[in-house]
Amino acid sequence: MDFRPTEEQQMLRDAVASIAGRYGHGYYVERARAGQKADELWNELGQAGYLGVNVPEAYGGGGMGISELAIVVEELAHAGCPLLLLVVSPAICATIIARFGSEAQKERWLPRFATAELKMAFAITEPDAGSNSHLISTTASRDGDVYRLNGTKYYISGCDEAEAVLVVTRTGTDPDTGRGRLSLFVVDLDTPGIEMTLIPVEIVAPEKQFTLFFDDVVVPADRLLGVEGDGLRQVFFGLNPERIITAATASGIGRYALDKASAYARDRSVWGAPIGTHQGLSHPLAKAKVDVELARLMCAKAAWAYDSGADAGQAGEAANMAKYAAAEAALAALDQAIQTHGGNGLSSEYGLADLWGMARLMRTAPVSREMILNFVAQHSLGLPRSY
Amino acid sequence: MDMNVVVCVKQIPDPTAPQALDPATGTLVRDGKLILDDSDAYGVEMGLQLAEQSGGGEVTLVSMAPNAETSGLRTALAMGAAKAILVSDPLLAGSDALSTAKVLAKAIARANPDLVIAATESTDGYTGTTPVQVAELLGMPSVTFAKKVTVQGPAVHVERQTEAGFDEVECPLPAVVTVTAGVVEPRYPSFKGIMAAKSKPVDQLSIADLGLTAGEVGAGGARQQVVDVSAADERKAGEVVVDEGDAHERVVAFLEQLKIV
Repeated sequence: MDFRPTEEQQMLRDAVASIAGRYGHGYYVERARAGQKADELWNELGQAGYLGVNVPEAYGGGGMGISELAIVVEELAHAGCPLLLLVVSPAICATIIARFGSEAQKERWLPRFATAELKMAFAITEPDAGSNSHLISTTASRDGDVYRLNGTKYYISGCDEAEAVLVVTRTGTDPDTGRGRLSLFVVDLDTPGIEMTLIPVEIVAPEKQFTLFFDDVVVPADRLLGVEGDGLRQVFFGLNPERIITAATASGIGRYALDKASAYARDRSVWGAPIGTHQGLSHPLAKAKVDVELARLMCAKAAWAYDSGADAGQAGEAANMAKYAAAEAALAALDQAIQTHGGNGLSSEYGLADLWGMARLMRTAPVSREMILNFVAQHSLGLPRSY
Repeated sequence: MDMNVVVCVKQIPDPTAPQALDPATGTLVRDGKLILDDSDAYGVEMGLQLAEQSGGGEVTLVSMAPNAETSGLRTALAMGAAKAILVSDPLLAGSDALSTAKVLAKAIARANPDLVIAATESTDGYTGTTPVQVAELLGMPSVTFAKKVTVQGPAVHVERQTEAGFDEVECPLPAVVTVTAGVVEPRYPSFKGIMAAKSKPVDQLSIADLGLTAGEVGAGGARQQVVDVSAADERKAGEVVVDEGDAHERVVAFLEQLKIV
């Protein structure tokens, strides 16, 4: 068992840290508050190939895996720039297309994922179907050479900056189980019949949340990914990377918060001694550090299990645990960092409180803390299914 | 003309990490991981640009480091250098600037370069003497403190930073040029560059491979010795000028006294 990163992984981490460090949290917040995107950062990373590390080499990508993407994402978040779209575009969409797309589809989209010129949103959640994908009611019906999509998707990140969206639809119903037969489509966001409505949320991030309405949206049949009815399996293939990359983002936020808190606790003196001298502050920070490092370890294990093609059960269990642990650790670290800063913890200047919405989101999405505990109870502990 | 450029790069302990001096020799402890000296990134970038502009040349890195360290070289290879020559030999421990120059000159000669680029000085040693010693040993002219470097035909044109402004210098090739941090903006390695770096050749040599002996280099050949190490003076607190309507005059007077204005 060797926990050392490869030389390439270390160089990747250093390079991304160095680029992201030049932008920093100030840039990120300024853009987010102005309703703008982090385009300069995104483009610089994209052109250098850092946002396409997991895209196959044959299509111009880095040819590596989710482990490397996790490094990129974690370092961005560590620099105070957690980019939500990375959880979606390279982690979910590129992964699913690389795995299930036809040759023509791969050639069409993957080279632009490799440079991150292509941003793709992912639409699975619906107002009446949250974690239960079997209830999906957005339909796609075949009509000659095209499909017609109808339905509503909810909390879709980054629709205003993405060029296309990978949509999970129902194309039929299994007569035995009554469950939906799902199919995935890549739909251009400027297709007539698509409307998007902003969902105001208390998250300071360049990426916004949207409700997406599909009103008889005509999609060419060559936008169907893989085989009709194979969507559930395809989606599941993309969900472990989603959890792992979320965990990496949360880990990065945790490290960002701890860096800030420990610097402040070393520097700030009250009654003649740095406040970090006092165990009332140092122990909670030390505990937060332990929890963040444990989460990073599980995140690395999950990424390794996924990349090495270990059995899906092992990768899924690790990915869920990593997401749970990292989200909890990030929130605890951020909370303690705010507490360490006293009143300054809530100031805009110190760049902590504005991350609360993002960190808190990760306890809820892409799968809630409770659903992970359900999964662990059932699959890891063999307890009866609760729902 | 294809320009083959050698860039001298030093691999140094991370300047942001705590450093230690060896109490016996007074020299920097270099046992841990070493990284590319930031000041060398400018030379690497300059070399890459000149090689690219020439149409078909390439950059060869030359470095001397303990423990066959390659971490810093990989960073420069990831930026785009084609290959590296690394001299690593236990007999090199205790080398002074001239010993280092002898080693580098022998290694550089193997690459038969059109141009040799180095930083003006390293971030850990600061002697600033090695590049000109290398030039002397190679029998090449040297131009130091370049803030702009262009190659035209068989000559290199350099804008050489001075206290007053800059000199324009033209010098026949091959030559040794030392570059400042103002010369070019170093690129970040691309991910493909990082992945390619591992398979680029690093030719690792001992001093015997270079035809040198222990008496010429390392502690045995060193003519320079650290005789004493003492702590730098604590920086004194600055003078606070409280504005009572005449602060600007007092600040100007202070600067005049320092001959800054």
